[in-house]
Amino acid sequence: MSTLRMLLLWVIVGLPLAWGVARTLQNALQLFR
Amino acid sequence: MSATTPDGLGTGRDGPPRSADDEQRVGFFDRRRTCAPRDYNRFLVPPAALAVHLSIGQAYAFSTFNLPLSTLLGGEHASPNDWSLVQIGWTFSIAIFVLGLSAAIFGRWVERVGPRKAMGVAALCFGGGFLVAALGIATHQLALLYLGYGVLGGCGLGIGYIAPVSTLIKWFPDRPGMATGMAIMGFGGGAMIAAPLSLFLMAHFRSPESNGVAATFVTMGCLYFAFMMFGAVMVRVPPGDWRPVGWVAPRTPRKLVTQAHVAVDKAWRTPQFWLLWGVLCMNVTAGIGVLGQASPMIQEMFGGRVTPAAAAGFVGLLSLFNMGGRFFWASISDYLGRRNTYFVFFLLGIVLYATVPSIGRAGSIVGFVAAFALILSMYGGGFATIPAYLRDMFGTMHVGAIHGRVLTAWACAGVLGPVLVNYLRQYQIDNGVAKAQAYSVTMYVMCGMLLIGLLCNLAITAVDPRHHHPPGEDAR
Repeated sequence: MSTLRMLLLWVIVGLPLAWGVARTLQNALQLFR
Repeated sequence: MSATTPDGLGTGRDGPPRSADDEQRVGFFDRRRTCAPRDYNRFLVPPAALAVHLSIGQAYAFSTFNLPLSTLLGGEHASPNDWSLVQIGWTFSIAIFVLGLSAAIFGRWVERVGPRKAMGVAALCFGGGFLVAALGIATHQLALLYLGYGVLGGCGLGIGYIAPVSTLIKWFPDRPGMATGMAIMGFGGGAMIAAPLSLFLMAHFRSPESNGVAATFVTMGCLYFAFMMFGAVMVRVPPGDWRPVGWVAPRTPRKLVTQAHVAVDKAWRTPQFWLLWGVLCMNVTAGIGVLGQASPMIQEMFGGRVTPAAAAGFVGLLSLFNMGGRFFWASISDYLGRRNTYFVFFLLGIVLYATVPSIGRAGSIVGFVAAFALILSMYGGGFATIPAYLRDMFGTMHVGAIHGRVLTAWACAGVLGPVLVNYLRQYQIDNGVAKAQAYSVTMYVMCGMLLIGLLCNLAITAVDPRHHHPPGEDAR
């Protein structure tokens, strides 16, 4: 139960961060085009 | 005076409510209601800290509002009555200045009331700051923008920054660097969420009558308030004498890692406090000036070869390394030791800054990007490693409050760094130096700043035991 809760919490904070990182990486690739 | 624990923190303050009646009397935001049971999974706590830091990290993306705020009255183009970019730029400067000030002023209060109440207040200030600023935007009153985002929001930044950090240090006595790195990484990552989110919301709320900035501020205020409150609800403090299962404090601790505690009022009078202040100030100064000028710098140093879009990509890449460095270097410091980690920052930083002009002359864009990516990773690493360094020097008792006072170095570096980079560049150009070479002197000045930081770090020794808090005495 505690592990599931931990996973859920990490997903809640991790998803927006992953979205932000993906967008930033997308922009960063422009540097090497 | 309450009963005490081996680390000097009263159980009356850190113990959970003892009965249902007691629980009713203790409010939801009270420190005692946040006290976790002994078998609590400590990895449930970092997401709560991250929720707060990812929110307040929005501050680094404030520049996305610069242009829309400067054309509020004129529409497509700025009218004479519109705010200038310099006036708008002050909003961010005020927020960062108030961050340092509020962290220093409210540090002790944060330690006393515990993380839930502090994070709740931070959510109110930061979310409320957006709403007041939105009112200022809707009625075009600059003072309200300053008061809302700068002052109120700045208080949310300062309190929100320090509140979860000391809690994590107490949960991870075996890996304090990694723990604080996880939270402070969120502050670096917050801008990566906020920048695209702001652009999306402004496009969504745009209408023939408005460019949608006020509505974006209202929405972001509500979103950040909710996300920070999620962190406040989830956060827990460990019982006063809690230790991870199977972990015992080393019998022969490292020379610069104390098992004692120093009260904040004594800590800031020690030379160690000011040396650490100098270490942080120099490390931040060297990075922050570059961060603000990264886009024009790469375009001017490689004239014609780097487009504005590619330069924006370079800024994004630096943000990624700034964020990643926070977790990487802070975690490494658990093994290398804090002092050695800062030696790496300063020595490697000096070498990199000294070679950047040569890399520029050689025309190597890849070398230039790699050098600055590494520099910015160490800039972030400096922020993330300092709480663990403070914990090593002064113990955990008032580490949040001491951290708050050390953060005034950030406010100082926030002025010093950009001023050095901008003015030195302008001075060189005014004296006939080509734009591509105008940054060379700046880089050598940065080497000098890092050398001062290196010397401060070299001078750090263990705190004199006469400053230690007497064991068994109440922490307050």
